This record gives sequence, structure tokens and C-alpha cells, in this order.
Amino acid sequence: MQRRDFLKASLAASAVALGSSASAGVTGQPVDSRKVSKIAFPEKRPLITYSDRPPLLETPRDSFTKAITSNDEFFVRWHMPEIPTHIDPDTYKININGLVNKELHISLNELKTAFEQVEVTSVLQCGGNSRSAFNPVAGGIQWGSGAMGCAKWKGVRLSDILNRAGLKKDAVWIGFNGLDNAAYYETPTFIREMRIDELDDHVIVAYEMNGEDLPYLNGYPVRLVIPGHYSDSWVKMLSNITVTNEYKSLFFMDVAYRIPDNDCECETPENKFKTTKPITTMNVKSVIGYPTNNTVVYHNSHVVVRGVAFDDGHGIKDVVISTDGGKTWKEAILDKDAGRYAFRAFRFAFKPTAYGKVSIMAKAINRLGAEQPLAQDIKWNHGGYKYNGIDVVTIEVV
Amino acid sequence: MMKKIIILTILSISALFAQVNEAVEVPYISYEIKMGKGFDAVNANCLMCHSFGYIINQGPQSKDFWHKKVVKMIVHFKAPISKEDVEITTNYLFEHYGNGALK
Ligand code: HEC
Repeated sequence: MQRRDFLKASLAASAVALGSSASAGVTGQPVDSRKVSKIAFPEKRPLITYSDRPPLLETPRDSFTKAITSNDEFFVRWHMPEIPTHIDPDTYKININGLVNKELHISLNELKTAFEQVEVTSVLQCGGNSRSAFNPVAGGIQWGSGAMGCAKWKGVRLSDILNRAGLKKDAVWIGFNGLDNAAYYETPTFIREMRIDELDDHVIVAYEMNGEDLPYLNGYPVRLVIPGHYSDSWVKMLSNITVTNEYKSLFFMDVAYRIPDNDCECETPENKFKTTKPITTMNVKSVIGYPTNNTVVYHNSHVVVRGVAFDDGHGIKDVVISTDGGKTWKEAILDKDAGRYAFRAFRFAFKPTAYGKVSIMAKAINRLGAEQPLAQDIKWNHGGYKYNGIDVVTIEVV
Repeated sequence: MMKKIIILTILSISALFAQVNEAVEVPYISYEIKMGKGFDAVNANCLMCHSFGYIINQGPQSKDFWHKKVVKMIVHFKAPISKEDVEITTNYLFEHYGNGALK
């Protein structure tokens, strides 16, 4: 009864309702029954909606048949509720300061004309994507599998900007800050810091997404793009880049987005692992976009299973499909390669020959040979990060 | 090597304009919040930094879970919540969004 009420109260129609008394920590398939909301946010079509302040929107599964996620379907994740809702592109500046020879204040016009322009097609995925797979509940938003997307980003290499400013000899850390603010003055702001040696030439300051301005909710007018890395450091509405020689202690660096620093990156709810490390680069993962759970298909019909696969930039070697509970696996066809950081779309012809419920499983394997584990083989971590279990959709054959 | 991944593009700059050139409006969503003892304290203490959607998406949880969440808000995010209201909000959350278990 209580659970009923809870579900009704939740805008996300069937929010996670897993019990929380499991002691070891177990993992299953992420929640997949949430419906898109009736309300559309600016520049977006209606998406799965967790919160309005800050805005938290998830892309529905059926979008993941395409190698590029359109801007109006792209997921949204902010940490702070106060987001500027108007930006004047003529006066907007990105400031570069700290341990540099020359402070810079770069306008959008300069960014687009005074630097070499580059493009990269890259997946953007929240470290907590699919968090609802973890039980007991891991802290944070209970995402299904749609806190991810892939876009073609255009902008300027961060290294070109830093070279123009000129790094001082003792420069070690770079802090990135966007224009979003906490509602309460003492709440730590969402500043990210990265070591200079972590930043290679593929990191860009992007002003274009799929050939358009970035949507406001994805960080208009500029955001950081760090291909291969989870999105926690892809600072939106990037306004300030500060070079330092000392690491500043920051909540969102020191406490959030961290996993146990052991080989399995795992722990139990009772026995949390003491030392942690940042989540950094993504593991190999795939999601089925069609069919979706509860799709009804005809017996002996020609179904084409479609989905997307990706990793941290090593590239996808194979996607294999099982329709017999994992006993046998067959290779899917991989679509054209749009770059090693991009979604690799896959398809697989399937003719259902038995009636009733059939589960379709997809497993991606990257060029290093790393492959997705079964959901139940993924070990628990307190933040619910880095879930990459084999995706399963169950359809009905009539 | 990088040249392969990042394709250089020829400069073609369109005039600066924003796709949307007035302020966007983020819609307000009214989450159904259960009324009951302690609601006022939740209203006063929990909606300042985020919507109620943030809270209910955690699913039904134990009393200990809710207590730890409220404490987390104070320790990490500096939420100005009094000792008394920690009790009251925890009890409210457990009563309405609890799973019956203390731990
Ligand atoms: C001072 C600001 C502030 C106040 C007041 C506040 N919170 Fe939060 N809360 C946050 C921030 C910041 C986050 C994390 C934001 C993020 O990562 O998106 C958060 C996240 C959460 C989450 C998500 C789960 C998690 O562990 O991150 C829950 C649940 C939550 N708050 C409950 C509450 C409750 C209940 C209250 C009232 C007792 C409350 N909050 C009051 C700032 C606040």
C-alpha cells in the first residue's frame, strides 16, 4: 500500500522500489519502466523527469537505436539549482587565470575565429548512469540507462587555449567552473579540478553540439568535452579556468564521483572500503534501443534488434546477442565507425520461432578484449557508479 | 594520431546568434508531497536546494537511511538544519517514504 502511494507520488511513474535490507549488495537490471513526463523543458522534447530544480532529465531507451542522440533528447544533469536562464553571446567571456603568463578573457567570437576549430564525436555519460541497478539503493539519482548520449562536438582544443595563455612552470592543476550556483551560499560549488597531465589534445571547449548551439540545459554557450571520461568533469556554461599548483579540497572532487580504490572497485554496504579514487574513464557498455521491454512481435516475423555500444576510446570490436538466456551468442552487425569515442550502432536480425516471453541480451566487447559482465556479477559500490551489465530486454512473441 | 580522431574543420563562421535569444524558462513541477506530522519542517528545510523529486526518487527506505541523508545534507552541503529538525524531518521521511525497517 505504502509502495503504491509512493509510486503515485513520484513523477517518474515507477521510481525504484527495491527493498533496502539486502546485506551484501546485489545488482540487477536498471529500472526501465519510467515514462516520459508530460512537461517539456526548454529546447527539449518531453523526457523522463526526476527533478525540476536542478533539472534532471533522462533519455528514453528507444532513442538508443541511433549513433547520434539528438539535442532535444539529450539527457540533462545539473548539480545546482541556480542556472542562468539567459546568456548574452556578445558579452560572454571565458576567463583563464591563475598560474599563466597572460590572463585571457575569450569571447565567443574569438573562440570561433582566433583558434583552430576541431570536432570530435563523443559519448557523454553520467558516472551514475543505470544507478537504479544497485541494491541497496546507492546514493544519488536513480537513473535508468538513459543518462547518456552521443553528439558531435565542435570547439577549440583546451591545450591551444592554455598555450596562448602560457602556463607557468609550477602549474599542476586546472580548475573549471561554470555559471551554475548553489541555492545556499555555504554549499560547495561545483568546481572540477584536473591534473594538467590528465588533459590531452582531445579535450575541447565546445560551443556546438550536432551542428547547433548547445541547448541551455546542456551548457550553453560553452562546455568542456573530455572524450572517454564520465561527464562529471564536462563542466557546463564554462566561465572560468584557473591554473594552480595546489589541489583545493572540494566536495564534488573528494567525496562525490568516487569508487573504492581496489581491484574490483567494490565494497559491501556494511563494510565500505576506506580509500577511494575518482571514476575517470568509462568501461565498455551497450544498450538495446529496439525492441524495448514488453514490445509485442509476431511469431516468425523479422525483428531487427538495434542498439549502441561504446567504451572509453579503445573502440568496440564486437557486439554479441543472445536470445536463449546467454547459452549461445551471435555477432551483431556493427554500423560505420564514427570515431573511437562515439556510439557504435549495432543491429541484429532475429526471427522469433517460439511463442511467449523472450529475452534479448546484448554484450559489447572492446578492442582490448574487455567485455560486459552479467548484471548479477557486478559488485556493489556506495555511489552506484560505473554499472555496465549486459543489457536485457524481454519481449512477447504472439 | 590525434589528427585522426579530431577532424580539422575549415573555418566557416556564421554570425553570432543564440538559438534562443531570450531567457528560457525552466518549468515548475509540483510534486505530490504527503501531508502529515513534520511536513512543515521538510518544507522549510529540504526544498531550498532541490526539488522534492530529488528526495522521492530514492524509493522507500529505512529510518537509518533517511537519518544519514539528512545528516549528509548538513555535513557536505552545509544545510542549516537544527538538531530538532533533523529528528522531525527524519521521522516524517521514514513515516511517509519508509520501508518499515529501522536499519
Ligand atoms: C544546503 C542545500 C541543501 C539542503 C537544505 C538539502 N539538501 Fe539534499 N542535496 C543537496 C545537494 C547539493 C545534493 C546533491 C546534488 C547533486 O549531486 O545533484 C543533495 C542531494 C539530496 C538527495 C539525493 C541523494 C544523495 O545522496 O545525493 C537526497 C535524497 C536529499 N538531498 C535529501 C534532502 C533532504 C531530506 C533534505 C532536508 C532534510 C535536504 N536534502 C536538504 C543540498 C541540500
